[in-house]
Amino acid sequence: MDDKDDLNADSEEAGGETLAAAEAAERAGVSTSTLRRWVALGLFPKNETSHGWGPSAIAQARSLAKLRDRGYSIEQLQDATAEGRLVGYTDEMVAEMVGERFTVKEAAKESGLKPDVIEELIAAIGLPSGALDDLGAEDVEMFRHFSTAVESGFPRDALLQLMRVYGQAVSKVADAEVRLVHLHVHEPLLREGVASDEIAEQMDGITDELLPLFSPVIDHLHRRFLNHFVEQDVVGHMESEPGGEIGQVRVAIAFADLAGYTQLTEEVGDEEAAGIVERFVANVNQTLPDEARILKTIGDEVMIVSADAASLTDWAVGFQILSDERPLPRIGIHCGNVVFRDGDYFGREVNLAARVAARAAAGEVLVTWPVVEMAGKHLEFERIGEVQLKGFSHATELFLSGQAGGR
Amino acid sequence: MASQFESPEQFRAIIDRVMTLMSEDPQMGPQLRDADVPQRLEFDDLDLVVNARAARAGEDGNLHWEWTDDVDWEPKVKMTMSSEVANRYFQGKENVPVAIARRRIKAGGDVGSALALIPITKPVWGLYRSMLEADYPQLVV
Repeated sequence: MDDKDDLNADSEEAGGETLAAAEAAERAGVSTSTLRRWVALGLFPKNETSHGWGPSAIAQARSLAKLRDRGYSIEQLQDATAEGRLVGYTDEMVAEMVGERFTVKEAAKESGLKPDVIEELIAAIGLPSGALDDLGAEDVEMFRHFSTAVESGFPRDALLQLMRVYGQAVSKVADAEVRLVHLHVHEPLLREGVASDEIAEQMDGITDELLPLFSPVIDHLHRRFLNHFVEQDVVGHMESEPGGEIGQVRVAIAFADLAGYTQLTEEVGDEEAAGIVERFVANVNQTLPDEARILKTIGDEVMIVSADAASLTDWAVGFQILSDERPLPRIGIHCGNVVFRDGDYFGREVNLAARVAARAAAGEVLVTWPVVEMAGKHLEFERIGEVQLKGFSHATELFLSGQAGGR
Repeated sequence: MASQFESPEQFRAIIDRVMTLMSEDPQMGPQLRDADVPQRLEFDDLDLVVNARAARAGEDGNLHWEWTDDVDWEPKVKMTMSSEVANRYFQGKENVPVAIARRRIKAGGDVGSALALIPITKPVWGLYRSMLEADYPQLVV
C-alpha cells in the first residue's frame, strides 16, 4: 500500500464510525491516491465522504475495488454511481470463504479423489475455474461424499451427471434469489430515493439473514420431490415393458405453448405478456396429473414429461376445454424411448414431440400414433394425415384429439 | 353406481361442512370471495344441486350457497359430477382436467374461471380428509 495521505485531514475516527482516508484506503485495499481520484471522479454519492469515511463509504470503496479488478472501466462505474445502481451493494454481502484453504493436490489427498477427478467435478458443477484455486473445508467434505459414493459402486459417470444437475439447479435458485431481491427490494428502494445507508442495511439484512433461511426449505423440498419420484419410479417399474436400451427411458412428452404469443407481446407489451405466460405455466403446473411434471419452460413454452401417455393426453384435452381465454394454448404429444442425461431428456422422439406441438393450432391437442394406441376410449382421434415435420426425413402420422362425441 | 354416501341428506350435510370450511378458512375464504365466481354444482346420482356465490354485504362468511336452482343469481360455471367424484375431488384424488376429458365431470359456462379456482381450493383437500378421518372414515379414498 503506498501513498496513503489523508483525503480529509481533519477527519478523525469518531466513536469507531468514521475513519481518516488513509485507514479507509487500507481497509478498501487501495492506495490513498486512488481513493482520492475516485472521490474526485464522483464515484461516491455526494456528501458520502465529506465528513470522514463511514462504514457504507468504505464498503462502497471495497466494492469499487472489486469491480475495477473485474475489468469495469472508471466510466462504467461513474455511470452506475450517477444512476444510483450501486447504492446498497456492499462487498460484505458476499460471504467470504473462511477457514482453512486447500490446493487441488491437498484436497485430493484429504478426500481420496484424484486431482483430475476434482477438476472434472468442479467443471461438472459449473463453478468458475477459479474455484480450484480457492478450495475450502466444505468443498473437501463434498469431495469426500463423492469419493464414498464412487467407492460404494455408484457409477462415476452417473455421479458427474448428478453433480451437473445439482450445479444447474442450485445456481438457478441462487440467481433467482438475487434477481428477485434486486427487482422487488433494491430497485423499489432506489426509486423511492431511500438513503444509501438505509438501503445498504436492508440489503445486508436480506442477504445475511433472510436468504440463508431458505436453505432448510430447499432441503425439505428435495426430500419431498425425492419421495415423489421414487414412488413414480416404482410405479414405472410395475408398468413398464422390458426391452428398451440401457440409458433410455420410455416417456410421453408434451410441449405446450400459447398460440400467437409473439403478436401478443406486440399488442400488450412485454410486462403484461409475461404475466399471461406466468399464469399459463401456473395453470399447467396446478392441473397436471401426479405422474406428469414440467421439465422446463422456455419463454411461453412448457415441456412436460410423464410415464403415462394416456393420462397426459386426458389432461391435455381437459386443459384445452378449461382454457377459454385468448391466447389459447396449443399442445403436441408424442411418446417413445428417449435418452436421459443430466436431468434432461434428449433424442429424436423429444424433437418429434416439439415439432408436433409446432404444428398444432390454437386450442388443439395434436398427437402421434403411439399416443393414440395408449389413449383411453373416451377420447377420439381425427386423423389429419401424414405430415412432413421440419428436420425429419419421414412423414409422421398426426391426429387431432378430443372427447369422443365432441364436448 | 351406488353412492358411497348413506343418503342424499348425509351427502348434503357433508358438503355443507366443506363449504363452511372453505368459507371460514382465513386463506381460501377471502380468495374465493374476491374471485367472485358463482358456481352451480350438480350431483346427478343423488339428484342434488347446490348454487354457490361470494357472500354479499351483510351476509356471514365469505361464501353463500343454497341447495336449489331457485336462486336470484346466474352461475358463471356449471359442473355436473357424481357424489363419488365430488368425494374424490375434495380429497385431492380427482384431477379436474383429466376428469373432464373422461367425462367424470361435465363443465359448462365460463370454464376458464373454474381453472382459476383450482389452486385456490387446493387447501380444502387436507381439511376435508381430516374431517372424513374423524367422522366418516368409510368415505376416505
